[in-house]
Amino acid sequence: MIIEIGNFSVTIALVLSVFGMASAALALKTRNTDWARVGRMALTLIFVLLGVGMLALVYSFIVRDFSVLYVANNSNSKLPFFYTVSAVWGGHEGSLLLWVFILSVFSTLAVWIHWRTQPTIMPYLIGVECAIIFGFLCLIVFLSSPFERLLPVPLEGKDLNPLLQDPAMVMHPPMLYMGYVGFSIPFSFAMAALFSGRLGEEWIKVTQRWTTFAWMCLTTGILLGGYWAYYELGWGGYWGWDPVENASFMPWLVGTAYLHSVLVQEKRKMFKVWNLFLIIVTFSLSLIGTFLVRSGVLTSVHSFATDPERGLYILIFVGSVIGIAFGALILRAAKLKSQVELDSFISRESIFLFNNLFFLVAAATVFLGTLYPLILETFGGGKVTVGPPYYNAVFMPIALGLLFLMGIGPYIPWRKASVANLKKSFSIPLIAGAVMVALLAVTGIRNLYALAGTYVVAFSGMAIVMDFSKVSQLYAQRNSSNIFKGCLAAFTANQRRYAAMLTHIGVLVLVIGIIASTIYQTEKVVSMKVGDEMSIGDYRMKLTDLHDVEGANWKAAEGVFQVFEDETLITELRPQKRIYNATQTPTTESAIYSINMGHIFLTMPEVSPEGVAVARGVLNPLILWVWGGGIIMGLGVILNILRPRKREE
Amino acid sequence: MLMMIRLIVTALFILSTPWSGLAEVQDETLLDIQVREIAKTLRCTVCQTENIWESGAPLAQQMRGVVRDRLKLGHSPEDIKEYFLSRYGDYIMMQPPAHGVNWFLWAGPFVLLLGGGLFLYKEVIGWVRRTPASPTAPPPPLDEKARQRLEHELES
Amino acid sequence: MTKSTQLTLVLVLLGLFYLFYEGLWGNPRHIPTVLIGTDAPMVEGPDVETGEMISLEQFKGKVVLLNFWASWCYECKVEHESVLELHRLFKDDPNFVMIGVNYQDKLPDAQQYLKEYGTTFAHMRDVKGQLAIDYGVYGVPETFVIDQQGKIRYKYVGPVTGHMYTKITQEIIAPLLKGQPVSTPS
Repeated sequence: MIIEIGNFSVTIALVLSVFGMASAALALKTRNTDWARVGRMALTLIFVLLGVGMLALVYSFIVRDFSVLYVANNSNSKLPFFYTVSAVWGGHEGSLLLWVFILSVFSTLAVWIHWRTQPTIMPYLIGVECAIIFGFLCLIVFLSSPFERLLPVPLEGKDLNPLLQDPAMVMHPPMLYMGYVGFSIPFSFAMAALFSGRLGEEWIKVTQRWTTFAWMCLTTGILLGGYWAYYELGWGGYWGWDPVENASFMPWLVGTAYLHSVLVQEKRKMFKVWNLFLIIVTFSLSLIGTFLVRSGVLTSVHSFATDPERGLYILIFVGSVIGIAFGALILRAAKLKSQVELDSFISRESIFLFNNLFFLVAAATVFLGTLYPLILETFGGGKVTVGPPYYNAVFMPIALGLLFLMGIGPYIPWRKASVANLKKSFSIPLIAGAVMVALLAVTGIRNLYALAGTYVVAFSGMAIVMDFSKVSQLYAQRNSSNIFKGCLAAFTANQRRYAAMLTHIGVLVLVIGIIASTIYQTEKVVSMKVGDEMSIGDYRMKLTDLHDVEGANWKAAEGVFQVFEDETLITELRPQKRIYNATQTPTTESAIYSINMGHIFLTMPEVSPEGVAVARGVLNPLILWVWGGGIIMGLGVILNILRPRKREE
Repeated sequence: MLMMIRLIVTALFILSTPWSGLAEVQDETLLDIQVREIAKTLRCTVCQTENIWESGAPLAQQMRGVVRDRLKLGHSPEDIKEYFLSRYGDYIMMQPPAHGVNWFLWAGPFVLLLGGGLFLYKEVIGWVRRTPASPTAPPPPLDEKARQRLEHELES
Repeated sequence: MTKSTQLTLVLVLLGLFYLFYEGLWGNPRHIPTVLIGTDAPMVEGPDVETGEMISLEQFKGKVVLLNFWASWCYECKVEHESVLELHRLFKDDPNFVMIGVNYQDKLPDAQQYLKEYGTTFAHMRDVKGQLAIDYGVYGVPETFVIDQQGKIRYKYVGPVTGHMYTKITQEIIAPLLKGQPVSTPS
């Protein structure tokens, strides 16, 4: 009964989305705000109805109603409660519903927040959002409904994919979707700007916080995905350049370019068309990512169950949105004469342009790598794999370039930089980089990428520190306060700038973590019996016990490894080799100990019936910097969003 | 169950005689390391872009076995790579070989970066040339202004 | 925006969507194999039912159909009847041999499977997965046709049913048995 209510609500929401589009069109035609009010009502109702749909599905999962096909496919009576909720987005149908639900939350919020200040934009916003909601709801209602019943009712569900039974996987999809969907708000405002011909800076200023928020969610979502892969997949890495990961990384790259590029338009009223282009590409890539993941175009050879009909529908829908967006851009923006005024090649404006170039080339690289097998196959060139070795080789120089620009950009003045200016800002950072590299070289580090990475990180980091300490000192002297108060004053007076710098510091920390944990990873795999020892790096691991354990929905062999540093016992690690009962899927559960900002990472990929365990030890130096960098980045973004409103606007 | 009992008995036995001759220090052999190096370059054909070293799929496990067996028989890493290429084609390698049409993939990003950079450089130079030197520059942005004011105050 | 920029944009978008469209219909099972036209590896393995060694060597000079299968594989059950049908069709020809290859399976499961669904030809076991790798197998079911000269003439990934059955029987095996050339698909 509950599930029918859910189904009914979602179907009504579909009808209302048509209604919303119609009232938006009428509002534009008659210039009567009452129609916009009707549209707002429709959008709000859609949000409520989709909420009901979500709740109905959550409820069915909680009571484990296996008469619902989707529930039967993605849960089990023994599935822990915590995961029954996340199982809602554990499959294709449910994740689509979550996508469109988040979209309805965001668009309803946006309409209510900007209702008073942006009355002319509202009909466009309502129309665009309703159109996107309509597209997704059609897909859900007609082609992949999570509300379908299953007859006869099975006694037991097939269980959620064991790999998804992980805390990080509970939050990963919602964060990712909030990122994708969040970009739909600036996208809608951009569409409104194009259709209404108000191509000024206002839409950018209004949506700045939305964009930043969406960017933060996408970043968090991607990092959570990496965190999940690290803990759950058990090979000790966090990023595999998998098509699914790439699908989320591409909008991130272009979104980041957009985030920077709009600053130029805000300050200098230039690159209007370019910014419209970037936000359209960002949102298009979010949609294309959804298409690539959901249609099975890029999945492996053995996805026997791909459904071209569903894929075709998503393609037509995504194609229409993208086609209309670019069509509007071409038709409306063609009239716009570009009035670029640049005083000097060495200016912040031009650094931003090169920043954009690097980000777009990075995105194009990921795009090319992801689609290359498809391109080759389409034109009869056989089947190839484009795996991590390719991306690592090609992406690294581009990333280094970006990091270097990151050190320069914020400290070059707008319009024109003088040579004295450059000397003052960059001589010490350049030296700092060289000193760091020399220090590392002395300690025996020879890897070229490690050295180059260290150089740009030290350079960029020093540039940030110098700028901030200089300004803080000035504030301290002016207020005749101590330097800490000076820092605080400098930060609060320029919160937008220094919050962004904090995010930059997060990026640097993250990069150090990535460099250390990928280039200086140590790995060892040995077969052990109880009583045997292995050594890895400075540590010794002794297998003291191997026994069976049982969880709610799995059985496992668990090894107990005592870890020694010299002769001191530092910890006991218990990796498991699990078999989930319902699906008989094996997983390797890693055991991790944090030490010196790095990890001792232990898995047991195989356990033979004779009691021989294959132990795989990995030392990941500084891996905590990867997650720590992510947290600092997020903190910077939150401070950016929460900055006081009045001060600079 | 039987296995469990056996394991417990073994464990108890070992625990009661802590430093008996049973305990051994296990280490990787050169062969293990070679297997790993090769396995990391081969794709698990039934997985999503995973190499056969990282994958837990049965096929990957068997392929690792094949690599090990062939190394034991004295095949060189090159021979083994050739063998897998002859069975599965380019698909088996984790990265496309850098020849023929694949140059498009390998060089593409750098061509884009260089071409884009050159184009951008020309554009920027052009824009700078077309921009009249403005004697009345509009006020610089706030953070700069604040700083300048501060510097001014300090100098005075 | 200049005219040429606009045109480039439109062309890129069209190209992209053409690519995606093609990708949708691209058969994920279609894997061009590098093995077509090469010597078939002369593998051997124990018979699933009797345990006696079967070697491809002993069938030299005959048309051999190799069918990789496993008891846990759903699509193998789908094709089982038509595979038996195929054997019925050609089994009287002395130049035709059909061998099943049991892949990544437990022996009791495989024996039980054959008992349950019945079989009319011999099956060898791929004990270590080596056979499958020799034949560049991705998964089951996969079917290979080897000609009288011991060369691999055809490979198909997926169940041999419907039009694939017709194709393999009429366009591949029948002409090969008559000594006629077959068009080798890439």
